[in-house]
Amino acid sequence: MRLKSGIALIISGPNPKTSAMQHTQIVLKNCDNIRPESFLDYRETGGMNAFKDALSMDPEKVLKEINRAGLRGRGGAGFPAGLKGKYTDESICRYCGQKYIICNADEGEPGTFKDRVIMEKNPHLFIEGMMIAAWAIGATKGYIYIRAEYTQSIQRIETALDNFYSYGWLGEKLDKSKNFSLDIELRLGAGSYLCGEELTLIESLEGKRGYPRIKPPFPAQHGLWLQPTLVHNVETFAHMPYIIRWGAESYRSIGTEKSPGTKIFSVSGDVNKPGNYETEMGISLRELIDVAGGMKDDVPLKTAVIGGAAGSFINSDQMDVSLCFDGMKKIDAVLGSGAVMILNETRDPVDFLAWILEFFKHESCGKCIPCRVGTAQLALMAQEIAGADDKSALLDKMVAEAEYIAENALCPLGASPIIPLSSFNNNVKHLI
Amino acid sequence: MAKRINISIDNKTIETEAGENLLQVALDAGIDIPHLCYHKKLSPTGACRMCSVKIDDQKGLVMACTLKAEDGMKVTAFDDEIETARKHTLEYLLSEYNSKTDGTYHDEVMELARHYGIDTEEKRSIPNIHSMIETRVDDSSPVLAYDASKCIKCFRCIKACDEVQGKNVLSYADRGLTSYIVAGNGIWADSECDGCGECVQLCPTGALIEIPHRNEINLNEIDKKIITTCPYCGVGCQIELSVNDNKILRSDGVEGILPNDGRLCVKGRFGYDFVDSDERLTHPLIKENGNFRKASWDEALNLIAEKFSGIKNAFGGDALAGYASAKCTNEDNYIFQKFVRMAFGTNNLDYCTRLCHASTVTAMLKSIGDGAGSNSIEDFETTDCLFVTGNNIIETHPVTATYVKAGARKGQKIIVCDPKWTPLVKHADLWLQQRLGTDVALLNGIIRQIIKDNDYNKAFIEKRVDGGMKAFEELKTLVEKYTPEYTEEITRVPAENIIQAARMYARAETAMIATGMGMSQQTSGTNNVFSLINMMLITGQIGRERCGIDPPRGQNNVQGATDVGVSPVVFPGYIPIDDESNRKRIASLWNTDFDALPGEKGLTTVEIMHEAHNGKIKGMYIMGENPMVTDPDLNHTAEALEKLDFLVVQDIFHTETTPYADVILPAASFAEKDGTFVNSDRRVLRVRKAVESPGEAREDWKITHEIAARMGADLGTYQSASDIFDEIAQAAPIMKGISYDRIEHQGIQWPCPDKNHPGTSTLFLDKFNTESGKAKLNPVDHTEPSEQADGDHPFILNSGRILYQYHSATMSRKNGSLNAFANESYVLMNPVDADNHKFRTGDKVILKNKRGELITNLRVSGEVAIGELFMPWHYSESLVNKLTRAELDPYSKIAPFKLSAVSIEKDA
Repeated sequence: MRLKSGIALIISGPNPKTSAMQHTQIVLKNCDNIRPESFLDYRETGGMNAFKDALSMDPEKVLKEINRAGLRGRGGAGFPAGLKGKYTDESICRYCGQKYIICNADEGEPGTFKDRVIMEKNPHLFIEGMMIAAWAIGATKGYIYIRAEYTQSIQRIETALDNFYSYGWLGEKLDKSKNFSLDIELRLGAGSYLCGEELTLIESLEGKRGYPRIKPPFPAQHGLWLQPTLVHNVETFAHMPYIIRWGAESYRSIGTEKSPGTKIFSVSGDVNKPGNYETEMGISLRELIDVAGGMKDDVPLKTAVIGGAAGSFINSDQMDVSLCFDGMKKIDAVLGSGAVMILNETRDPVDFLAWILEFFKHESCGKCIPCRVGTAQLALMAQEIAGADDKSALLDKMVAEAEYIAENALCPLGASPIIPLSSFNNNVKHLI
Repeated sequence: MAKRINISIDNKTIETEAGENLLQVALDAGIDIPHLCYHKKLSPTGACRMCSVKIDDQKGLVMACTLKAEDGMKVTAFDDEIETARKHTLEYLLSEYNSKTDGTYHDEVMELARHYGIDTEEKRSIPNIHSMIETRVDDSSPVLAYDASKCIKCFRCIKACDEVQGKNVLSYADRGLTSYIVAGNGIWADSECDGCGECVQLCPTGALIEIPHRNEINLNEIDKKIITTCPYCGVGCQIELSVNDNKILRSDGVEGILPNDGRLCVKGRFGYDFVDSDERLTHPLIKENGNFRKASWDEALNLIAEKFSGIKNAFGGDALAGYASAKCTNEDNYIFQKFVRMAFGTNNLDYCTRLCHASTVTAMLKSIGDGAGSNSIEDFETTDCLFVTGNNIIETHPVTATYVKAGARKGQKIIVCDPKWTPLVKHADLWLQQRLGTDVALLNGIIRQIIKDNDYNKAFIEKRVDGGMKAFEELKTLVEKYTPEYTEEITRVPAENIIQAARMYARAETAMIATGMGMSQQTSGTNNVFSLINMMLITGQIGRERCGIDPPRGQNNVQGATDVGVSPVVFPGYIPIDDESNRKRIASLWNTDFDALPGEKGLTTVEIMHEAHNGKIKGMYIMGENPMVTDPDLNHTAEALEKLDFLVVQDIFHTETTPYADVILPAASFAEKDGTFVNSDRRVLRVRKAVESPGEAREDWKITHEIAARMGADLGTYQSASDIFDEIAQAAPIMKGISYDRIEHQGIQWPCPDKNHPGTSTLFLDKFNTESGKAKLNPVDHTEPSEQADGDHPFILNSGRILYQYHSATMSRKNGSLNAFANESYVLMNPVDADNHKFRTGDKVILKNKRGELITNLRVSGEVAIGELFMPWHYSESLVNKLTRAELDPYSKIAPFKLSAVSIEKDA
């Protein structure tokens, strides 16, 4: 299916909106028109209509609709949201025991600040998404786990939750015959990247140190307090009201076939207007840079790192890559969180790579040997690249180590260094 | 029962149960998949990444420890790819690991390194990154030290502390490569670590090591390792002693067998140094002109025989008495009771049990026919509700408490009744803090509520209680007045707690009672336990698995000593003295005449002391007991001992009692002999010789035997302790089927009626051990304690034990490790009282009453109620029993150690 050319609405930053394609917006649609603390503003722009629709549907049907819409997780992994929900729903019957719904608002991936804008500007939206999902799987208790540094978001969410409670959407029996009610609490993280990983997040929520659990069991069967738990990213939840309100077909008409819907890209670095841009999935990097005002001072691109620290280096020959899950996969790269970090010709990619590896070393929890030692070894080796006689050989060695680490480590953090390293090796090595 | 299934590992078919841990299945089948963080006692961690395997035809490696066996599973445990990955992981570990060893620990990392041929740096390709890690050592604890450079961050110590011991002291600090273990808030000595050493035992490297003897022990130079039973409390932990040059250098818990599965407390793990102490008695000593001089065994034994025979001939056997020992083996005690009966010719034979669980046993014998615990230690974890009364189980029976804590984690309900706060309260659902001496009222209140709620078990009462519903009605009538409000008035326990406790206990699927000194050591001790049993019988919480009443026993062999006949009223196996056919049988077994065996009931422990005081008893033989600390009313006891014409004390150390002796005999400690103990759950456990006795010290039974011979009594011929036990098995039907060969690996619980019987884990499944086979209700009313606080003595003094010292401390205070934790007497006073009296922590105070006085150190603490005080009784410089009284419970003859009226003032 041909995708529409890069359409965007500029959300943050000083520039005016282009009115042309507002209707393709899903998440940031009314962001600048409403007062974030106002529940009435939210209702007036259509808020809570989706949840009302969901309540009138069979929960099974709600799940099916999300599945049909092909919504994929926006946290970074891109796992089909409908499937995750399905597993949690099927775990135990909705009347047999406690189920939990968790919103992962830890937003720890470097270069990513898209959840922040949702939480600051339209907090009611993603919470409505949580409520829809909770209804779908029978969860009666929810948590929003947010990084403690997001003070503005915290305030906005507290107000939003207050609103939901005082207007009778939370804490009340919403469907008398089926006895469903939902309570949501806000909980703060404490500065650990790994606590943005779902299993570690659950440990942290239980009051323990952020060490990831072994899988199996999976959260769908045994998550928070070993009960069935559904965990989703803020942006993912924010898509659900649209899907229920307007239907899977409408959702699928946006974006690409395998990555339907929109994506908020956090663009930073050497562009004229860094900021959050919501566009259809599949926009090319070239178009996205245009939307972000073009390269700063017209200095050409040397490399873009897409997806965060656990992201892929791509070069100026690859600027027509389709920014969606499968588009990136085609060039052996990842979309990740949708962070887009632009480095121009004045930047040293080796320096950036070294910083990424130092980041992983710093954030490694230390539980498993491959990651704890491996990230330290990689950070060390990265310092040696600049002065190395045979840079290529050293990089090949680093890729080999990163492969071993990814294969043997306990959690997704261990599986991360290979992503920037292999893409660096493939796409940027020749530039240093 | 889980399904039996077949899986294959490297083409070897293995039969196992569905859901079993895959790594454990492999290890049990002899397939040695390398692993470091996994331990069978702990939940799997998945941290070391060494146990990688491939499953079916899936790509990629998974960790065997994280998987459960499924039918038809095809596992590849060893192939090139897997081994390469493992070696890589190990190299990574070695790059951060400090392999320098002092030989005092078993290094699982280097063992693997040698196996993979990468034990030295030249053989490795991953560079050493030690410089990235700060060196960090915490050796502030008296008993263990942590070295972060040797830590492989496997989580074993944390899980050992959390999951096995239930203490939650350890955690990580920092993150990633530089993370390290901390206890409490960072300084080990300031944390709640109580030195149990579970972490050290499970640590795979030298990150955690034991401090005692670290400069002496070398694992390559251990002469022998002997498995024996701990000599301290009645849990009966199996310990393995490492011995070099006739000295014990280490004690480890033995895993995989009951009762402790490798768990220990600080005493079992670090309290063995007393064996090797310089203060051990090494020679017989005879008192001459007020001083002791060394003597030869011949001289001493002859003197003893002459003196005892003299008294017997002049005044009769009943002018003599013997105190046997809860610390000595069954064999020692069996010979001792034979001695008193055959050489002395009297049943004036008793020991410290009379000061301890006498009330419990008396009440239990009268109502259900057995005085020993009805369940087994594992049941403490699996029962649905545990009612703990008068028992500071975490401090006095630490390893039993680990089972309780594990149960609590799984949802077990715990009710604690105690006038004083104990650590178990932290894990409990309910704490009833009754006023000292009001236990009967509290229990009657609970019983009344159970009846009111209709939570009593009618079917059980009709079927298994004597008198059925008629007896029940009598109980019901008696407890009628104990409304929650009335009970609250007497006990100070809030009415709603009484109601809650009743419901929690009665409505539990299964429930067990743990009852201790708090209940037993009162003038109403027997009545206390009667009401406890009444509660248990009307709810039917006995006679099924995981139901019953279990008095945790205080000493390593207090259970066994009575089992083998140390009692003024029963023969071995609890058969009453007046059972003539049994006496005939015993006489025949002992090769003596029926008439030669004394047929009259003898005197109990404190009664013996009374009779010594008034001159009726003129000679005593004390083995392994210390009445000058343990008996009530010590000034009175001192006078009694002084009045004796002749006193023999047989022990391993000088004690507070030995100065009163005419002859002191040096005996062997638990580590210097073979024998058996019986623990709290009736398990007959092996004791094995590990070292030679110092000087001329001899095994207790051999000494006793020799005295008898010189008095003209033949106590039998035995080549070994095993021979003695074989005779015990013949004398005591409950042990008939037990012999040393059967208990070589793990002890057997009596009753064990024949050689093929596996032993009995739960009592009373079919019937009670009474004549009718049914249990008896014994309704009793509350009576106020005979000693009350008054104007002159406004406080009630409670006494008890602490974790780190043991009873009269003759053994425990000879260990530097234990003394480092606690070595000072103190008295606890409630903050309100302290405020009113202007006392502060650290003040030296004098406690006084009609019986005596003592000086100790005050500690202000909310653990005691207003008007009540508490002192640990271990410390000889502040003897609590100077203040207790010898007024006895009319049935059990126990003294009320838990309740003495005292005055308290600052020591000028």
